[in-house]
Amino acid sequence: MNAASASPSASALFLPPSGAPTEAEASRFLAQAGFAATPVDIVRVQTLGMAGWLDEQFDAPRSLSHFDWLISKGFDKAKFRNGFAGVDATLWRKFIGSPDALRQRVVLALSEIFVISMAGLPVAWRGFAVAAYVDMLETKAFGSFRGLLEGVTLSCGMGVYLNMRGNQKGDPRTGRLPDENYAREVMQLFTIGLQQLGPDGRPRTDDTGPLDSYDQGDVSELAKVFTGWNFDGASATSPEFMRRPMTHSANRFAVGPKRALHVAIAATADGPTALGIALDTLADHPNVGPFIGRQLIQRLVCSDPSPAYVRRVAEVFADNGRGERGDLRAVLRAILLDPEAREPAPGPATGKLREPMLRFIQWARTVGLKSPNELWNVGSLADPAKRLGQSPLRSPSVFNFFRPGYVPPNTDLGKLGVTAPEFQLCNETSVAGYLNFMQGVINNGIGELKPDYTADLGLANDASALVERYALLLAANALSVHSKDVITDAVATIAARSDAGRRNRIRAATLLVMATPEYLIQQ
Amino acid sequence: MHIGKTKQMQRREFLRRASALGLAGAAAPWALNLAAIGEAAAAGSAGGYKALVCVFLYGGNDHGNTLVPYDPASHAAYQAIRQTLATPREQLAATLLNPRLALPDGRQMALAPELGRLKTIFDAGQLGVLMNVGTLVQPTTLAQYKAQSVPLPPKLFSHNDQQSVWQASGGEGATSGWGGRLGDRFLQSNGNALFSCVNVAGNAVFMAGQQAVQYQMSPAGAVQIDGISKPLFGSQACADALRSLITAPRSHPMENELNRVVARSIGAQGIVSGALSSLPPLTTPFDTGNSLAMQLQMVARMIGARASLGVSRQVFFVSIGGFDLHDLLLAQHPGLLGSVGDALASFYQATQELGVADQVTSFTASDFGRTLTSNGDGSDHGWGSHHFVLGGAVKGGRMWGTLPSVSVNGPDDVGQGRLLPTTSVDHLGASLASWMGVSATELPLVMPQIVNYTTQDLGLFTA
Repeated sequence: MNAASASPSASALFLPPSGAPTEAEASRFLAQAGFAATPVDIVRVQTLGMAGWLDEQFDAPRSLSHFDWLISKGFDKAKFRNGFAGVDATLWRKFIGSPDALRQRVVLALSEIFVISMAGLPVAWRGFAVAAYVDMLETKAFGSFRGLLEGVTLSCGMGVYLNMRGNQKGDPRTGRLPDENYAREVMQLFTIGLQQLGPDGRPRTDDTGPLDSYDQGDVSELAKVFTGWNFDGASATSPEFMRRPMTHSANRFAVGPKRALHVAIAATADGPTALGIALDTLADHPNVGPFIGRQLIQRLVCSDPSPAYVRRVAEVFADNGRGERGDLRAVLRAILLDPEAREPAPGPATGKLREPMLRFIQWARTVGLKSPNELWNVGSLADPAKRLGQSPLRSPSVFNFFRPGYVPPNTDLGKLGVTAPEFQLCNETSVAGYLNFMQGVINNGIGELKPDYTADLGLANDASALVERYALLLAANALSVHSKDVITDAVATIAARSDAGRRNRIRAATLLVMATPEYLIQQ
Repeated sequence: MHIGKTKQMQRREFLRRASALGLAGAAAPWALNLAAIGEAAAAGSAGGYKALVCVFLYGGNDHGNTLVPYDPASHAAYQAIRQTLATPREQLAATLLNPRLALPDGRQMALAPELGRLKTIFDAGQLGVLMNVGTLVQPTTLAQYKAQSVPLPPKLFSHNDQQSVWQASGGEGATSGWGGRLGDRFLQSNGNALFSCVNVAGNAVFMAGQQAVQYQMSPAGAVQIDGISKPLFGSQACADALRSLITAPRSHPMENELNRVVARSIGAQGIVSGALSSLPPLTTPFDTGNSLAMQLQMVARMIGARASLGVSRQVFFVSIGGFDLHDLLLAQHPGLLGSVGDALASFYQATQELGVADQVTSFTASDFGRTLTSNGDGSDHGWGSHHFVLGGAVKGGRMWGTLPSVSVNGPDDVGQGRLLPTTSVDHLGASLASWMGVSATELPLVMPQIVNYTTQDLGLFTA
């Protein structure tokens, strides 16, 4: 086949069909479209082809919802009402353990674009607000963008996080005005962005510079549209309302004519109708395809996609081939099967720094980490000095862990103008925190989740084969010959006479692969 | 305080640093010049040290409830506009400010009740309030704003962009900030250039210079990489392999940048940990439950270690989030302000303990101010805001700048009580830079837009 055939086959008995992806190609694809590449996953991609694997994953059954899992574990007791007990656990349960890898990966990506965070949800049943929100993302991830946008907008979690819940009409007597937060951020972050974009995602300009997408007047107008919404039957004793969309109260809805951008909304339109017009207007805006498309590419494939790549994805966003706009399945297919994703030209902007939480999830899936008592007690990994500096649904703000336009200052990347969002988390503390944390979990797991290296004990007798295997599974065989030699020579110094020694070989090989820059920069 | 130990410490430090540098090796392109470290350590201990500390309040601090109108007419106007958000006048009596230069028209202002410790420092003359400061490109009148007839900062009212404009005079994607550009001026005189710009919060563009690189550390200190510090899974060869893999120069720019950060981390950790461990502990109490206080405690400790770190000019960055209070302003803002006030006051006290109060200036900054109007439970994104400047060299007990009127659709209002700034961040930055020793001719290198203004120095400092 190619160089990958030099590595130990994922399954010695499996003969891939002709034209099938190599093991390395399959592993590389799986790291983009899912989290990890186990030997079984690699064979599946080789058997079905990448497009076929995506189709299978689009229709994969869903595992127990976060909301129901929390209830099943008793987290709906009143004493948990003002905390996030169980939320990290159920998030890890699915990100590490759920077989629908593509869906989980896309949910995590969406949670970094349509951000809510445990760092800011001051409401009773806050844990269930997060659970319901992530369940909603799961439900909408492979549907239409318009459906996703409505799910986000009317979710209790977002309602609390960006304050649309409880937003009420202005009061001329007191001077009170509608809350502008959701109106502003739904435009800036969730749909159209600040600048008018061309179809390839590059800003439109005129003589005066970049052209803004909207102004403060547009924000104030849209804030009026987003009045009148609140929880559907809030309860102190049951979190059930948290998974219902917010409902509308006409008496708190702003009176008079309104508008969403250039689209007039008649004074006679009721709250849900006005909201529908506003969301239609935003979802139909020509910015959405390139704006959201580019960010999805960044989450799944690379940090600085070419304008042509963005354009191809935006074209599919505009029309899935059947005249439908915003078909997220088609958009995800376009992103993951694009030539720039599959065979990127080598260059300074190729690839991305793997997100710290994705490295951990990948490792956990690769070693088949289990939680024997379903505790999933990994906890928050947000501390950069002791853990990863990043943990699902724990962004410091609605601006995510990093900005899509981040250019690392004082670097060659900066000189080249390369956007590299993940580098916003990369500093002297977090690089050390990552290596220390991974050394700990590779050694002995975390919480009750303990890696079982038994299956690889035989392989560990051959340091070279061991390193080849982890280089294939974790790094899609992207390690240089030199790096593999350095690792192999070092691992071979650990005596393999006992299982303890063989385990240490596995641990050392894993950590060293996950420390190499060829691994950390996913190309 | 630790002067008696200096000679012995310097020798020990030198040896340890030499070994730390050997470890970082050729993969550390940043300037860690051994001879210069020795010289700068001497310079640092001989005096002449200065440090600037930026305390960033992420989310846009509600200035309306931070510095509150107090005279009866102004408070009544404030109460009428803010409605339920207003702080009752009787709660403000203890924190009423009596500035050494009275405000015009009999106006009086009070600090939020939670800022009592700052009021004490204000009264002692080491803290002042800069009123209605914000991002501008040039002096701008309300008429010019409305006519859009002068250049305005990009993306007003947007968090990430206005954070960036405050810190770097440009929107998201800007690659150098004025803290970093200030650091650039001192790279040569600091024996150890890496510690010119020290960030105890997360990465911030404020701290990136044209050359200066921000050194990021945790509130608990520099983090050692365990896997290279002792045998890895029982194997010294594996520890050596790890060190080589994570520090070697690479040809791919992302890989190379990653390894540059790791190499810096390793080299600096040995120096920082050694320098901090040789200091006596601070006796000034810091609230361990206050993350900003913990960051500032580490800044104080780093300042205490300035001689062994080989620095004579430093810029520090710390931050606290949670200020974007569209909702729950009354429930959450007082606690946040209390954290800021306590952390700043403890930090100032620590600089007194270290004998460097006159050599350290801290100041607050934030994305923007907020609307004076209420949305029922909070306030929305604004522009100009009030900020604190604090330190022994500050000509404090004063309120600088122009006090805005308490009104909606007033002379400084761009809508809903959003303040058009009457003092620019450029002014603030230039004044702070001048105090740090940047010459008038070099000020535009730090604050390029300062050339757009006639008055350049705000007179924040004694002599």
